[in-house]
Amino acid sequence: MEEFLINHEEEALAAGCLEHALASGADKARITLNKNLTELYGTLNGSLDKVSRSLDRAVMITIFTGGRYGSFTANRIDREHLFPFIEEAVRTVGMLAPDPLRDLPDPARTQKNAVTGRETGLLDPAFAKRTSDERLATALSSAVFGKISGKGFKLISEEGEYSDSVSDLLLLDSNGLRCRHSETSFDYGVEATVEDEGGNRISGYWWDSAPLLCDLDAASCGKTAVERAASLIGPKPVESGPRTIVVDSGCGSTLLSPILNALSGFAIQQKNSFLDGTLGKKVFPESLSILDLGEEYGKCGSRLFDIEGVAINNSAIIENGVVKEYFLNTYDSKKLGMAPTVDAPTRAVIRPAGIPEGKRAGREEIMSLCGDGILITGFNGGNSNPTTGDFSFGIEGILFSGGRPVHPVREMLMTGNLVSLWNSLLYAGDDPRKCMSRQIPTLAFANVMISA
Amino acid sequence: MIKDKQYYLDTFGVKESDLELLAAEGLSCGGDFTDIFFENTSFSNILLRDGEVTSARMSLDYGAGIRVLEGEKTGYSYTENTSVESLRQAARAAAKIAMGKGGAVEVTPRSAAAILKDARDRAATYVTAQGNGDRKVRKFFTGSPNPAADRYPMQSDWTKEDTKTLISVLSSLRDKISRRDSTIVKILARISGQVTDVLMFNSFGEMKYDTRPLGEISTSVIYSRGGRTENKTVSRSFRCGSEMLSESLLDEIAVQVTSGIDERFEASRPKGGKMPVVMGAGASGILLHEAMGHAFEADFNRKGQSIFSGKIGERVCAKGINIVDDGTIKGNRGAVNFDDEGVPGQRTCMVEDGILTSYLHDRISARWFGVSPTGNGRRESFRYNPIPRMRATYMESGDASREDIISTVKKGVFVDEFSNGQVLIGEGDFTFYVKSGFLIENGRLTAPVKDINIIGNGPRALADIIAVGSDSKIDDGTWTCGKGQSVPVSCGIPTVLVRELTVGGN
Repeated sequence: MEEFLINHEEEALAAGCLEHALASGADKARITLNKNLTELYGTLNGSLDKVSRSLDRAVMITIFTGGRYGSFTANRIDREHLFPFIEEAVRTVGMLAPDPLRDLPDPARTQKNAVTGRETGLLDPAFAKRTSDERLATALSSAVFGKISGKGFKLISEEGEYSDSVSDLLLLDSNGLRCRHSETSFDYGVEATVEDEGGNRISGYWWDSAPLLCDLDAASCGKTAVERAASLIGPKPVESGPRTIVVDSGCGSTLLSPILNALSGFAIQQKNSFLDGTLGKKVFPESLSILDLGEEYGKCGSRLFDIEGVAINNSAIIENGVVKEYFLNTYDSKKLGMAPTVDAPTRAVIRPAGIPEGKRAGREEIMSLCGDGILITGFNGGNSNPTTGDFSFGIEGILFSGGRPVHPVREMLMTGNLVSLWNSLLYAGDDPRKCMSRQIPTLAFANVMISA
Repeated sequence: MIKDKQYYLDTFGVKESDLELLAAEGLSCGGDFTDIFFENTSFSNILLRDGEVTSARMSLDYGAGIRVLEGEKTGYSYTENTSVESLRQAARAAAKIAMGKGGAVEVTPRSAAAILKDARDRAATYVTAQGNGDRKVRKFFTGSPNPAADRYPMQSDWTKEDTKTLISVLSSLRDKISRRDSTIVKILARISGQVTDVLMFNSFGEMKYDTRPLGEISTSVIYSRGGRTENKTVSRSFRCGSEMLSESLLDEIAVQVTSGIDERFEASRPKGGKMPVVMGAGASGILLHEAMGHAFEADFNRKGQSIFSGKIGERVCAKGINIVDDGTIKGNRGAVNFDDEGVPGQRTCMVEDGILTSYLHDRISARWFGVSPTGNGRRESFRYNPIPRMRATYMESGDASREDIISTVKKGVFVDEFSNGQVLIGEGDFTFYVKSGFLIENGRLTAPVKDINIIGNGPRALADIIAVGSDSKIDDGTWTCGKGQSVPVSCGIPTVLVRELTVGGN
């Protein structure tokens, strides 16, 4: 494994860059060294279609001088190229307007326990032992083209992609910060296109990802992708109007991301957030709690420090409907005159909501609880207004009645306001996908305006 | 701005004999074709926030990617170190795609010549492909880059531009904007400039080189009135040097970003549902990009995934409609002297007089379909293999006036400002998000509307275009297309009327 990670020579070079930045006139500096190795095997209709291998290294130098600030990135990792680049960076920063609020984070807030990079439990030694033949075998054996059939459709295209990677990050600053994060990732995804008896094409996608190879379920992805495509055959129109919607756990991020973006210090400070002025206020329903559980050992998305090296602690973002946290890096916190937190959410987790005591809360159970509505299995474009929270998203999915599927629906839009939408939350399940860094379960909302 | 060949060889520290050796290394396990793509990008960006330019970014990105093709199969590897040994390792990794026909041949200067001769003998300069009407198909694109035909000459090199000058440009833009509206509470503005040197060499022995500038200026302004806030963003991007930052451009941006704000505060959502949609000239070209452009990319058609698969030669819209993807517009964000496979940039008519006449091809799909590549093989950087991508996609003018088109609509919407779009290739369902527009009632623009998504189906929307204006216009915003990798593009359209699309609303 060691051969793939940042080596002593590269670590010494990072330290040398820090010293050189200070020697060149920077008052303070931060160095971020990244290294990533990825190998990929793609298949088309069960045959090998693509092979790629890549090794990336990049160093980012963040300069603070005379109350001025700039960040600079290069991927030619040697003194001959980096040192003149750093000198030019310091000169460039000197031309900017001073901004005394720019600073490194308070050393008391930075992470001290990310020393080896392995503390998050996300580095699998199996990566180093994996051979190209084994990777190819996983890609080929996971393909289902020619092995799967169904009534009323034929599989006309299957594109699969297996990849694995190891990444390593080293963060140093002139206040004595030293943090390391290393992780592996094993991924498989399939895009299946089926053709129905009328010649219509429908695509379905499914994927899995895991930091540990033993947790990757590549084998079932193809079948699931085909099933998802086939489930959308024969769409029928529905009437426009308000409806109950159930959002599949694989795609709820579309509804959560604008909330998290609106809580960023940058958006708040720039008056470009519909959640400006909501800290400590009850904006959402009592049933909604969103936690930031970034410290969980071995879980997708976990990390022990943010991009400034500030220690990650498990915390509440929204608790019983009350906004508990803005994401404030050192600069934005000073701009706003508020206490700093972290630069961004790490691993947002939506807690179950509205589920009867002792009941399971997967997709089918929530559809049963809702009775009638539309199950959304995918979003197709759309956006939201960051200053008002008004949104409009394209959707596809399945009309259900009595908790059971009736027929597919597509080419529809859901429209509303994000605060109103989340206030109409009926249920949040307990079925987030393990492979996602945002743990979003099946969600159900009442009275959502659908245009069809 | 094309420099002399030696400049590019020196930039990447290689000799022509090295390139021959590397091409042979790529074919050492077999394979039909290999190419090497060297790239060196210098990027800088300054940001004005809260009244001052207080932060800067700069990056240098350098490396080379090596691709090996066997039929339609692709092996790809890249390295950030262009020493011959690193490049040879990358070539060996890419060559694995052709493994299975025996082991790798050891590449020496002598064996390299034989390997390449064999590859070149197998590929004639012109072939007549079966199934394409016996048209002669161009496979080689020999000849040196022609500086006189340069589509993006750069008068003021971004890499040599004084940061102080750029700061004064942003300060001037800030002043021009803030003078125009007293309800402005925040102005963000940024200038980005990059210059990319590329050197391409392939197993046919073709060498191409290019220097590609790309400049962007954008601003996002927040307005506050009566406790409510609204925002508006405007951007411009060109393939040229920093000479693009003229006073007239700043004036144009300042006017546009402060226009229509009253309407934005008044705007509401219309009642949702199916209705006629008039797409304003210019940025509405996103309709073409999402509804048909992606589905015309030949990789999706080669794999049978596109809703337009197998429809070449068929009528897809009304007579008189021409849709073009063009890499030849001087200074345009989507312009290419050569694509990233060394194929000359060109103007490709996808729809002529309503008939689907061409997909957008890279070398792989062109070979598969038995046609010439169309210069659409593009990539985000040396880290990616090229795939068919759009350049500047637009519809040519028709003969109707904007006013006449609007006057024919009893009840519908007029849209002219967008933020993003998306498409499902198989189904053909596309969406685009409308930042602003107007209701049309009895042939007149009435109440302003905003923040609505519009959804439709590509083939149906094409067939439903029932009026085309005489005012075709390319939009010069910072359009970036994502398809697993990002490339700069642009789009355009005249005013058009689509009979029916689904509009999100209350």
